[in-house]
Amino acid sequence: MTALVTKYVTIARTNARQQLTYRGEFATRALSMVLFMGVFIALWTTAFDVSGATTLAGYTLPAMCWYLAMTETITLSGSRVFVEIGEAVRSGDVAYTLVRPVSYPAFMVAHSLGHSAPRLGLNFVVAAGVVLVFVQTVATTPAGVAGFLVLAAGALALDALMMVLIGLLAFFIEEVTPAFWIYQKLLFTVGGLFLPLEFFPDWLQGVVRLLPFQFISYAPARAFVAFDPAEFAGALAGQAAYLVVTGLVVLAVWRYGRRRLAVHGG
Amino acid sequence: MAGAAWQYTEADVKTLRLAAAYFRHNLMSAMEYRFSFILQAVGMVLNDVMLLFFWWVVFTRLPSLRGWDLTGVLTLYAIVAFGFGLATVVCGNATRLAHIIVTGNLDYYLALPAEPLTHLLVSRMSLPAWGDLVFGLAIYLLITPDSLLRFPLFLFLGALGAIIFTSFAVILGSLAFFIGNAEELSRQGWGAMITFGLYPVDIFPLAVRVVLYTLIPAAFISSVPAMLLADFQWPPLAVLMLFTVGIAAFAGLVFRLGLRRYESGNLVTVRG
Repeated sequence: MTALVTKYVTIARTNARQQLTYRGEFATRALSMVLFMGVFIALWTTAFDVSGATTLAGYTLPAMCWYLAMTETITLSGSRVFVEIGEAVRSGDVAYTLVRPVSYPAFMVAHSLGHSAPRLGLNFVVAAGVVLVFVQTVATTPAGVAGFLVLAAGALALDALMMVLIGLLAFFIEEVTPAFWIYQKLLFTVGGLFLPLEFFPDWLQGVVRLLPFQFISYAPARAFVAFDPAEFAGALAGQAAYLVVTGLVVLAVWRYGRRRLAVHGG
Repeated sequence: MAGAAWQYTEADVKTLRLAAAYFRHNLMSAMEYRFSFILQAVGMVLNDVMLLFFWWVVFTRLPSLRGWDLTGVLTLYAIVAFGFGLATVVCGNATRLAHIIVTGNLDYYLALPAEPLTHLLVSRMSLPAWGDLVFGLAIYLLITPDSLLRFPLFLFLGALGAIIFTSFAVILGSLAFFIGNAEELSRQGWGAMITFGLYPVDIFPLAVRVVLYTLIPAAFISSVPAMLLADFQWPPLAVLMLFTVGIAAFAGLVFRLGLRRYESGNLVTVRG
């Protein structure tokens, strides 16, 4: 069991090192974070200004900015391994992975996490820097930061599984990018990336709190700005449940796809 | 002199014919893989529709944002999507220019008797961009009460937006002639253009607004045309048209200046 874990940790670590090798490109990507945060801060400063209120849906302006900084930190750290998997399935190269002593989906999850981990660190620093410059207030607590880091790790793992699942859809459809767009926009909207769920009408909140997307964006960011032990425990349990469910779906799709490969391969 | 003018017109007609031929050819290629094409276009429509969700929720909390209500923002989305869609359906290589220069693939266009920039731009069609195009048209026709009356204006403003977007992408891509690998910078630049374009310019502080009318001219592809559709006035239209002509001429100039510095990649490829 230890050997198995070590194998995948090594894969993740190798990918993380690869990320750090291309430092210039790695740093340039942080510009996206500056851009998005600049837009969000301007938008919400105007919104609070126009409304004349000190809180909107329970969020002050600094809390709102920090919330968005954290959702963006996670989202911009995610990998796009679905592109690689889709290519491998379409070209048939995926067949070569069958002889390797690793599970292909698990390999890609480790690969994705190795890609995301250094970016999470960089994005966190950049996002925090931008918010500090503009808002000049820190809207969190040590427990909030710890809660965020734990839930962010779960969020990246869940996101990695989703990416692998989208990539494996190439067994059924020729072009998987539209599936990624839909997933990405679900994170933007019902996942709470652009807006905390408290902004939604009550009926909608009831629905979106049951979906996996909020465990990737909303839950970690909410823990950062308004840490509550009960909420944190609920989010952790929700993440764990969706990690298991998504993992099983990925395995089922992979097994099905592998059988199809055996039938049509050559 | 008259002969030169005649030659210029003839070259223009040839370039237009080339663009039309590429458009037809690219569309026919796309239709060969019909399901994939439709899937990408429909996926993009869904992608765009879901982005509107954010504004719907925001405007349930606030009546308006510095003069912009939900209808205004939807008009803005419609014009940006239509302009961007048109730009990348017709000139699908606009956002790939830096990559083409850096990888030495420009050689192919230089060796042929067509005007290289136009040839390069129109030789590819972005298939998902059809979804943006359809989304822009549909949203505009659905949400604006007198949309049919102003529909020709919408198409015209969208076409101006497409020219501005393509020109901006050419300027960014041409940076590769001067600074080497400009792919990431180019991607960030046109990403910024779209990101800022999807928000009303009035929500930003003055300094950012100045940037959005100059360095990253997102206001000219989004807020300015959206305001013209809501309240038409000749002076802003004249400014918009002048800006479009100016940025297109500037893009052509930057590309030509860059071309003088271009060193062939000596890339040997076979193209069908």
